[in-house]
Amino acid sequence: MEAAVVDVGSKLLKAGFAIPDQTPAMIIPTQMKQLLDDGSVTDNSPSDNVTVDPVVRGFIRDWDAIEDLLHHVLYSGLGWEIGNEGQILFTDPLCTPKANKEQLVQLMFETFNISGFYASEQAVLSLYAVGRISGCTVDIGHGKIDIAPVIEGAVHHIASRRFELGGIDLTNFLAQELGKSNPQVNISMSDVEKIKEQYSCCAEDELAYQKIQYSCPVEKHTLPDGQVITIGRERYTVGEALFQPCLLGLEAHGIVDQLVHAISIVSSDNQRQLLENTVVCGGTSSMIGFEERFQKESSLSSSAVQPTLVKPPEYMPENLTMYSAWVGGAILAKVVFPQNQHITKGDYDETGPSIVHRKCF
Amino acid sequence: MYGGDEVSAIVIDLGSHTCKAGYAGEDAPKAVFPSVVGAIDQMDIDGTGDADGNSGASADLQNNAKNNDSDNTKGKCKLYVGSQSLGYRRDHMEVLSPLKNGVVVDWNIVDNIWDHAFRECLLVDPKERPMLLAEQCSNTQEQRERAAELMFEKYNVPALFLAKNAVLTSFASGRATSLVVDSGGGSTTVVPVLDGYVLQKAVTTSPIGGEFLTDCLMKSLEGKGITIRPRYSFKKKEIRPGNLQTVDLDFPHTTESYKLYSQRVIATDIKECVCRTPDSPYDESAYSNIPMTPYELPDGQIIEVGSDRFKIPDILFNPSLVQTIPGMESFAEIAPSIRGLPKMIIESINKCDVDIRRELFSTILLTGGTASMQQLKERIEKDLLEESPQAARVKVFASGNVTERRFSVWIGGSILASLGSFQQMWFSKSEYEEQGASYIQRKCP
Repeated sequence: MEAAVVDVGSKLLKAGFAIPDQTPAMIIPTQMKQLLDDGSVTDNSPSDNVTVDPVVRGFIRDWDAIEDLLHHVLYSGLGWEIGNEGQILFTDPLCTPKANKEQLVQLMFETFNISGFYASEQAVLSLYAVGRISGCTVDIGHGKIDIAPVIEGAVHHIASRRFELGGIDLTNFLAQELGKSNPQVNISMSDVEKIKEQYSCCAEDELAYQKIQYSCPVEKHTLPDGQVITIGRERYTVGEALFQPCLLGLEAHGIVDQLVHAISIVSSDNQRQLLENTVVCGGTSSMIGFEERFQKESSLSSSAVQPTLVKPPEYMPENLTMYSAWVGGAILAKVVFPQNQHITKGDYDETGPSIVHRKCF
Repeated sequence: MYGGDEVSAIVIDLGSHTCKAGYAGEDAPKAVFPSVVGAIDQMDIDGTGDADGNSGASADLQNNAKNNDSDNTKGKCKLYVGSQSLGYRRDHMEVLSPLKNGVVVDWNIVDNIWDHAFRECLLVDPKERPMLLAEQCSNTQEQRERAAELMFEKYNVPALFLAKNAVLTSFASGRATSLVVDSGGGSTTVVPVLDGYVLQKAVTTSPIGGEFLTDCLMKSLEGKGITIRPRYSFKKKEIRPGNLQTVDLDFPHTTESYKLYSQRVIATDIKECVCRTPDSPYDESAYSNIPMTPYELPDGQIIEVGSDRFKIPDILFNPSLVQTIPGMESFAEIAPSIRGLPKMIIESINKCDVDIRRELFSTILLTGGTASMQQLKERIEKDLLEESPQAARVKVFASGNVTERRFSVWIGGSILASLGSFQQMWFSKSEYEEQGASYIQRKCP
């Protein structure tokens, strides 16, 4: 049986068997609804559900919820049988605390009784997906942005950067802006999320953005409940926020500048190789016009070598940027598990959860 | 007594230039960031107390009476720690260092730096992990007690240990006895270590360190008419497709200290890329005709560095060279009393007992950021062979890997904190509560 690869993101959980060249079999939202099952009828509304986000800013926070989610994914989704669990590979974001890794291993071996485990960092996997082992990954996700230089398969921790800024902040920002231009309309967050995915784009460069601020074609959009809202320059503001975080009220440089600063810490022999193999991945980076704007900003950046984006190979599926960590995991799983470099049940029983620090890095 | 089971300790080395922090048992620190902070004095800005959420670290603190550095009583002071936050230019932001001549003067800043390391870089809860702090050999009892107080009272760490830098370096190379030459950002120290203990009376220090060399380089370049533009002061614009032009940006409220800090960052990079230790003492005439090395500044300007490549590193060996650099005259008064590196080594060894001198000569360890300069090891060996007694066999050890040289104090701490036999030596919270902070002198020699 193939190994399973699971990439738990802040918004979407990608899971499937380790078959590279294909998109993951299951792509489901990680947000869950908690049903209160006390049986008694309360005074509150019967649908007293609470939405739970088990993954916050890339890290797993709610372990009970994750257990239920994984239960659904592995047994109902992928078709594992209880008693015959297979091997599984997880992806970790940058700077995962040691305690989190240990807890995940413990959960998998003790609750799910799997036979083999491996965990790897998302930055490295995204590079594997485009066929490189050295380069720089810019992972713009829902909950966080990770910028990680990778040299020969090892993340350069000292130079890597992590930002607690992501798609979710852009959604909140868009909700604010839409609220300002459509004051009478009440829009729920999930609708704003869909609007963001449908309409947001990046201006060509800063000058074009300034022009758009003054005059922009306005479109009308009908919400599911029938209300009509107008969307004009808000679509460009969302994309611009990644390049000018001061729009969100943050005191930080844009994403290309952060990339250049991060690389300048690495020793100069490797800088050229890293910048010429830059991979941009993550859901938020699939915005229209993002790649072109990124290239434009790179040519203006204060660096001798300009960041150049890598083109994914032709045999990879479309939309690779959305799932590149998962695809990289599938590639890695095909190498690690047959060669027995993973953590087996025997290893875990002998040493305990701390074995994850020694065997998986 | 702290049992220390599977939970791994955190090792922190707060140097004068960078702070290194990470988990024990690993081979490199995870968090490396400058040990200076950006401070905005809220009283300068009239009531615009920005409560901005920022992706860097900022701590809103009230300076309490313990802060013995305040020359004027400040109300609220916003501090920014870490290379991300410092890299962003803010109005009125001053760059402050907690150390002065290697001694901590502002504990508030140290507190913030530690907080940033735990909560933003490593993402750990200090309550659950024992801490190993690396300290200077010249640390006073009062400083150690202060550090212990801060760690136990504010962070509630379960156990603490303070180890001397030189001892950790010695452990990192696997030796219990050696002469450690630590050339870091703020100063250069030569410390003999015997069986894991520092011989205090033989410690020699000199204020010439990496930052000093960077300043010399900057003044020397300015003397030649090259101005280093900080990164925030320019922007590239495309006036025609394919044609870029650098445009100056003006920010009138930027403080001098921030401008200097940004320029130093660039000058440090120039120094690290271009400078090499000369094989023989620097001679103005001999080096006047060497080919110049080009270096591209961030704003696109290409500068040529010629004799400075060799002159700057030679300051370590011959401090009086400083007087030839225009702009460094303020240093001229103290220059005569500072000795070069080989002389410091000889002096330090001569202060030790006659019996161990031979062993010290044959195990000289080079460590620190500035020691990663190329050819430094060979030059020291050569100079020492000339000046040392005939019978002594001089051997200088320096790790080939640049990372190891820069972080060898941290690596030594990582090794020490993960040893099984060390686990009983921790100074635990219960001992602190029973015996008080002064007990640290006995527990951490």
